[in-house]
Amino acid sequence: MSTANPPKKSPATPLCSLLEKNHFILRRLHSLSGIVPIGLFVCMHLFTNAQMIWGQDSTTGEGTFQHEVDFIHSMPALFIIEWSLWGAIAFHAGLGFWYTFTGKHNVKRYSYADNLRYMLQRITGVIALVFIFLHVATLRWRWDLFGWFTPFYGEGYQAPGVPHAFHDVPMSLPLTAYALQISWLVVLFYLVGVTASVYHWCNGLWTAAISWGLTITTASMKRWGFVCAGLFVALMSFFAASMIGALKFDLGQDMSADQIEVFELIVPESRIPLDVSNRP
Amino acid sequence: MIAPHTPEKTFLVRIQRQDGESQPAYWQEFEVPVKPAQNIISVLQYIAANPVTTSGEQVEPVVWDSGCLEEVCGACTMVVDGQVRQSCSCLANEQLAKTGKDHIELTPMTKFPVVRDLFVDRQRMFDNLKKIKGWVPIDGTHDLGPGPTETPEQQEERYAYSRCMTCGCCLEACPQFTKDNEFIGAQAIAQALYFNQHETGKKLKSERLDELSGPGGVADCGNAQNCVKVCPKEIPLTQAIAKVGRQLTVHAVKSFFSSK
Repeated sequence: MSTANPPKKSPATPLCSLLEKNHFILRRLHSLSGIVPIGLFVCMHLFTNAQMIWGQDSTTGEGTFQHEVDFIHSMPALFIIEWSLWGAIAFHAGLGFWYTFTGKHNVKRYSYADNLRYMLQRITGVIALVFIFLHVATLRWRWDLFGWFTPFYGEGYQAPGVPHAFHDVPMSLPLTAYALQISWLVVLFYLVGVTASVYHWCNGLWTAAISWGLTITTASMKRWGFVCAGLFVALMSFFAASMIGALKFDLGQDMSADQIEVFELIVPESRIPLDVSNRP
Repeated sequence: MIAPHTPEKTFLVRIQRQDGESQPAYWQEFEVPVKPAQNIISVLQYIAANPVTTSGEQVEPVVWDSGCLEEVCGACTMVVDGQVRQSCSCLANEQLAKTGKDHIELTPMTKFPVVRDLFVDRQRMFDNLKKIKGWVPIDGTHDLGPGPTETPEQQEERYAYSRCMTCGCCLEACPQFTKDNEFIGAQAIAQALYFNQHETGKKLKSERLDELSGPGGVADCGNAQNCVKVCPKEIPLTQAIAKVGRQLTVHAVKSFFSSK
């Protein structure tokens, strides 16, 4: 008999064998790529957006939010940050999507809160990916999706048809406010997308502490859980602040005269009537 | 004198049966009289003695596996009303009261190949114990003198892991452990820690960690934490997973700088 050798596995593709060889390091990089580049960026992004709640000076159009946006745009080699983020997102999402289908959820049978958390982590990951893509496509690449008009800051004063004299007019807050005030669907889209993304990060932070071996006792897992829940609340309140800021912004009353002029150039047929009757 | 006739109280047992590993599964229903303090094994014994379904059909007796009948061997593990557990420690009356139904549903574990009916082949778990070298490396050919001592704290922690009976509850409830992947699961991870913490067993620690960092290793854990909740021996499985995770982190850093 020549059956002494165990049956050999079917020959794997080069990609499969590469993934298998580096299994451990890929898993850890997957964890790290979610927490550090993507997660920290989202924290900063939400904090910047939260500044919208302070509004702006209706005579000059200056405000904290505009100041933050200008700071980000003044950073050197911003495109490197942007492309690194895309790299991290592609890596994290690609592997994450694959990992998702190595498991089979069973919440129906074992309806523990932790098991639900496991399933939600996978669902929110997919929601977050779709959300981030649509968010960037509409606001950054200016795709016209579902008929939403979602202009981006960079295009705000540089949009075709805006005379050079207006290129210093800050438009970040008015245009973001307009994008969100057009339809409650946009608000809902952001509510679902941001909640899913923030949950995914906070829960990922909690499970990463177990995977990396930081929280090695049930008690420490619980303590770290409170920290992660606290982060969730903090980030969601930043989000709430930005939403309130954008929704309470009165396009007719709170814009400066220059801003109104640029706004009317960029948005020739505003879907929200600008009530300029009581302006000082 | 004739005893007053009282109709015997009964309940129904629905059993998912399967004639062999690749055979289709089918359901059969049996009526079983209520007896005090009757566990699932005695219910199955009654059915084996009276293998007649509720539709009056005479069938082959149901096959199941059991051993100790006191929840320490793990052999009789099956899925009772959707939840994995040892059937010997499951009392029929309590189970009926818990679910509030008039029947009990018995199915084999879903993560292992079915031998027949409720009897599954848990070989994968024992293979995994071999993979992680779940033993202390002494060959017993000569006297090595007294072994290293353990502190009471170490003993207390390791005792918990020593309670594992390889029943498979943790794997049955685990969303990451499936029939078609190679995840090693909580049972083997906890046993790797158990032997890594043993003063002599430590000699194989690095080999165990190499195995656990490969495909199907600890990194495949999804932290759903069902394992620790269904473990009948209350083994702190999630702590074991986290501790092996820490050992792996240290191991990876060490290997990066010092392995050849």
